[in-house]
Amino acid sequence: MTAAVTAPIIRLEAVSKTYDLPRAGARGAADRALNVVYDLSLDVQPREFVSIVGPSGCGKTTALFMLAGLREASAGRIEVCGRPPREAVRAGLSSVIFQQPVLFEWLTAEENVLLPLRMRDARWWAWPARRGRYLAAARRALETVELSGFEHYYPDALSGGMQQRVAIARALTLDPQVLLMDEPFGALDEITRDRMNLELIRLAEARGLTIVFVTHSIEEAVFLSDRVVVMSRGPSPATGSSVVRVLDVGLPHPRQLALKEEPAFFQKVREGREALRQTQGVA
Amino acid sequence: MSADAAPARPAARPGPRVRLPVAELRSWAIFGALAVAAWEAASRLYGQPYLLPAPSAIAAEFREHWPLVLGYAAITSQEIVVGFLAGALAALLCAMVFLRLPRLVEDFLYRVIVTLNSTPFVALASLAVVWFGLGLQSKIVIAGMYTFFAVLYTTHKEFISVEVIREQLMDIYNATWWQRIFLLKIPSALPIIFVSLKGGVMAAVNGAIVGELFGAFEGLGYMILDSRYVGNTVRVFLAAVFCTAIGWLLLGAVTLAERLLLPWHVSMAGRR
Ligand SMILES: Nc1ncnc2c1ncn2[C@@H]1O[C@H](COP(=O)(O)OP(=O)(O)O)[C@@H](O)[C@H]1O
Ligand SMILES: [Mg+2]
Repeated sequence: MTAAVTAPIIRLEAVSKTYDLPRAGARGAADRALNVVYDLSLDVQPREFVSIVGPSGCGKTTALFMLAGLREASAGRIEVCGRPPREAVRAGLSSVIFQQPVLFEWLTAEENVLLPLRMRDARWWAWPARRGRYLAAARRALETVELSGFEHYYPDALSGGMQQRVAIARALTLDPQVLLMDEPFGALDEITRDRMNLELIRLAEARGLTIVFVTHSIEEAVFLSDRVVVMSRGPSPATGSSVVRVLDVGLPHPRQLALKEEPAFFQKVREGREALRQTQGVA
Repeated sequence: MSADAAPARPAARPGPRVRLPVAELRSWAIFGALAVAAWEAASRLYGQPYLLPAPSAIAAEFREHWPLVLGYAAITSQEIVVGFLAGALAALLCAMVFLRLPRLVEDFLYRVIVTLNSTPFVALASLAVVWFGLGLQSKIVIAGMYTFFAVLYTTHKEFISVEVIREQLMDIYNATWWQRIFLLKIPSALPIIFVSLKGGVMAAVNGAIVGELFGAFEGLGYMILDSRYVGNTVRVFLAAVFCTAIGWLLLGAVTLAERLLLPWHVSMAGRR
């Protein structure tokens, strides 16, 4: 899968991030800078599934937000679909799933899903005429996440897993090529999470999505991904980069739950764990 | 199918549907009847109708002078409703404009408003009568001012405290300034705006009455002042009863609007 026949769809070149917000107790200017991501380089191929794992606070969310154009990189270069990340996301080429579903509780499931379409159209007076057509698109998106019949539900009346599915449907309405996901299933119970993982794999397959998936679970990362990027808090002593290791998973597709019982799977998880353990010595 | 997706009920739109709250009305009627009965009994036992007139005496006063009283009530209601609507609308617009202003100007205006907000309104109200005369205008201005401050402070605060991640969602979808206002800020602030509107209604009632007390030829506040001069306590009570009734009706109207507009809100749970 890593054999680069095509051009990468996502490129990170020596990306670093320094937050310079004042922190409690900060005195001088030097105290105010907080380095989070160090020298991160990564190419992601079209249709590839890449996970980022690492201890909490190592900058996974920061890295993903930089890919989504929600944070500016302090150094280095980022390209998504050949454009700066912010442009890619605004053009609907990439889309983001947050840790929480971030649904608007005053809108029903289908209205939440068609929000991106609605915001594309600055002419609000034309909206009522288009609503019908867009609603059909929203319903199709809800169908792909198996939420048919729940179109008229308010988020409050949906379970956590269902809410996150609505968020996925919303992210899919603009038909993106890249999906950026920040611990999307972190708040779900294990059974629901397994099910969502399988659905995500099916969706990625069916739509030819490229996915960057942040998680703190090495098992989830190995199960889902073609490659797993292990990040540390602070630069790794050997390379000076946040990336400790990039693990080629190389397990057969399509992934099924039975895979989780196989020695090859355990082996990869163990490799990942070892890499993660290396991160712990680092500040 | 996992446990997570099993539809427990058939999909039904829990849309805005307002039923007459029969049980609620009934319990209010019972409460009202009991209160009136207790008041009547207390008044008769006390035996000083000048200090505590009985409800029956107030009702008799109303029967005798109802055209005048209803006329005054209509005038005061007009002041309250117009003042309330104008004040609330001005507050919402102001809160929106604030978001468009440079930080420094916003900070300054905010301070002005906090300062005005903590000035005793009664002092300002007496000025309004000087500036706008003894007619309806000055009362509308006062009622509007009371409402304006009650609503603006809260709305502005809600507008600027929208969750960062929701703003980021708007960034992602390239929302315009207006889309942020109408698709995110207003709907997410609405529950709190309604709380402040309910406070605003009562503030408008107070404002209109205070205005009339400072100088007027007509209205319930005028009736209170006038009756007190001539020692007609019964009529003071009659005016107070009407003020309360107007406040209740308007509160009911705002609550109705809330139920229509916020069918999704948690406080409506169990009502849908
Ligand atoms: N907006 C911000 N301003 C300042 N510091 C931040 C900001 N966002 C995150 N951080 C800091 O950056 C570090 C990494 O955060 P984050 O990217 O959320 O890590 P992770 O997602 O791996 O848990 C943390 O120490 C956090 O406190
Ligand atoms: Mg995180």
